Amino acid sequence: MDLELAEEQQMVIDMAKAMLEEHCPTQLVRDMEDDAHGVPAELWSQMSDLGLNGLLIPEEYGGGGLGLLEGAFVYEELGRAMAPVPHFVSCVLSAKVLLAAGSDAQKEAWLGKIADGSAILTPAWLEPERGQGEKGIALEAKSEGATFKLTGRKRSVPYASAADQLVVLARTDAGVDLFLVDPNASGVTMKQLLSQGREPQYQIDFDGVAVSAENRIGEAGTGWATWNAAMHEGIILLAAQAIGGADRCLVETVDYANQRIQFDKPLGAFQALAHYMADASTRIDGGRVLVHEAAWNADQGRTIARFAPMAKLFCCEAYRETTRVCAQIWGGVAFTIEYDQQMFFRRAKALQLSWWDTPYLEELIASDVLD
Amino acid sequence: MDFDFSPEEQKFAEEVDAWLVENRDPVVMDHHRENFTQLSDTPERRAFMKKLAAKGWLGMSWPKEFGGQEIEGVYEYILNEALSKHAAPQIGKGVGIIGKTLIRHGNDFLKQKFLPLILDAEIEFAVGYSEPEAGSDAANMQLRADKVEGGWLLNGQKMWTTSAHFADWYWVGARTDQDKPKHDGLSLFLIDMDNPNLEVQSLPTIGKDTTNQVFFDDVFVPDEYLVGQQGKGFQMISEALDLERFTMFTLSPIANRSEVLVDWVKEAKRDDEPLKDDTNVRRTIAHIMTDTAVAKALSTRFVCAAKSGGKPPTIESSQYKLFTTSLSQRVCKDALDIQGHEGTIMEGQDDAPLRGRFEGAYRATMNETVGGGSSEIQKNIIARRHLGLPKNF
Repeated sequence: MDLELAEEQQMVIDMAKAMLEEHCPTQLVRDMEDDAHGVPAELWSQMSDLGLNGLLIPEEYGGGGLGLLEGAFVYEELGRAMAPVPHFVSCVLSAKVLLAAGSDAQKEAWLGKIADGSAILTPAWLEPERGQGEKGIALEAKSEGATFKLTGRKRSVPYASAADQLVVLARTDAGVDLFLVDPNASGVTMKQLLSQGREPQYQIDFDGVAVSAENRIGEAGTGWATWNAAMHEGIILLAAQAIGGADRCLVETVDYANQRIQFDKPLGAFQALAHYMADASTRIDGGRVLVHEAAWNADQGRTIARFAPMAKLFCCEAYRETTRVCAQIWGGVAFTIEYDQQMFFRRAKALQLSWWDTPYLEELIASDVLD
Repeated sequence: MDFDFSPEEQKFAEEVDAWLVENRDPVVMDHHRENFTQLSDTPERRAFMKKLAAKGWLGMSWPKEFGGQEIEGVYEYILNEALSKHAAPQIGKGVGIIGKTLIRHGNDFLKQKFLPLILDAEIEFAVGYSEPEAGSDAANMQLRADKVEGGWLLNGQKMWTTSAHFADWYWVGARTDQDKPKHDGLSLFLIDMDNPNLEVQSLPTIGKDTTNQVFFDDVFVPDEYLVGQQGKGFQMISEALDLERFTMFTLSPIANRSEVLVDWVKEAKRDDEPLKDDTNVRRTIAHIMTDTAVAKALSTRFVCAAKSGGKPPTIESSQYKLFTTSLSQRVCKDALDIQGHEGTIMEGQDDAPLRGRFEGAYRATMNETVGGGSSEIQKNIIARRHLGLPKNF
């Protein structure tokens, strides 16, 4: 057992941290809230230039070919910066889906562009009034010779207006399949949905959208398995993101608690408040090791059926709880828009409920443990 | 980064595991019982500890000149975790806290007298830090040690000494300098429990185990039984707690509890329906297992920090203790919630689920967030030393 970072790993962290400190100030995060496009050009191009967008993509497609553990280090920094970028949807989920099940032509067409940031892909997964499991996919893809006709509605598709391709989960005769769909195709209409995390997300209606069979990703009926596997890896990174957000929120709060005087002493000198912060730090540090353990296991080729949902469940709860107690320490200013605390507070809850929410994660863990 | 044991460590873990299977003693090793070395004493347990000693498994991390093997503390961690996985007693405070403090700070006389006895499992210790006015505030100990010719005279009282009713020797903190700042006036002594001027009064607890209060009435302790430097007691106590906390609160008894509960839930029925199909039960189990995984992560972090040398793993140790002991209580509480009213039936009674394991544990684990430095003390340590918050409280 050894939790020390390798030199190269520390370099990845330092590089991401320095770049984000320079190119992702809080003002940028604020400016991008509810932006219809949502991709800050300079930050995105910095990420591409530094190889962060291709981090998890194999070298043969122009990526860095690094593991999920390195991904977790970077995601902690993205979370710390609240970076408003489509990295997760494009460079993680879409890339992983294509890598696992895409045809050679699909991989050639998109992975290089995802890696260098010149193309953005995003999954169209959730549907109104439907759950997050396989049963939740109702959007119909009807086979008509060499094409499929897609009909139905997706909700909460992140960065859809900036996307070059949508990765659509749809129901076919074979089960659930994944399709690459041009968002400009005839029959696709989009409407922006405002949400708590304030990232751009869209409702998309598919009205008999024709998709060539060549654009199906993987064999018929394998879409859910592909998606499920990509999500298991992806949520480990989101857990790291949660730790990053929680950690920054706590660091800023500790700083404030050391300076703000009440009743003739700094807030941090009040045990009730100090204990909130000690608890938060314990959850953050424990969650971080759990994330690393989950990512490390994935990189070793071991099952993450239990670890991945545990990491997201715990770290997102830690993030939410940290932002709650920190808001308590900041007092009234915490819920004014002028201060940054409210941004952490909203994002923590949004992240907790996004990409598999608490009940879904609990059930994944319970079924792995009990069934 | 590597979450696996090294091949050598893994080999040792397997060796211990195989040995414990082969040497299974149902009296000593019982999954339905909480089993901490320091809380109970039976001839069977002493015999079991002698067998561990004969294997050379006590004091593995000690220097060779004192009979150890000079291997890393992670082996003691592996041994302790294996012991508790098999519900066997732990190697305990003699090897860790007392032995290692003597090695680091003790005089030659104490080393020669006590270290071989510890390695041979010939001796039981009690630890006396707490007092009526000094529980969590260890620096506030008031037991007086006054210098007299050839030694010290001790007067006052200790509280919460868990094994005083069967221990052979007493490891005691006392105030040797009345005028110095409170952290600087404490010293450590070893006292023969047969001393006629020591009076041990047992205090029953709501768990199955007994604790004790101990009264000192002119207890004479010869000079050579002063441990380390006079006035450095508090520093030695803190250092030992930082370094050895994982020998006091190993994870496996807690992880064991989670596993025992899971195995029971898998089989249990209510109104002929499998209990595991109940959504609330499933959610509870998901959280217990997740938090157990986090506790394990914190223990890995603690062991790795201890292994890497350098500074004592104070923060890692405090976070581990804080999180784990609270989880330990929560698992028992949740288990009783799942078992419902039947869960209140005590061990030995008909119809007690899991032979009353969780009913007993619920009562017994209450001490974990208080003993060995309360949760609030751990939070103070984290707040000050890790987060850099002011020291006003």
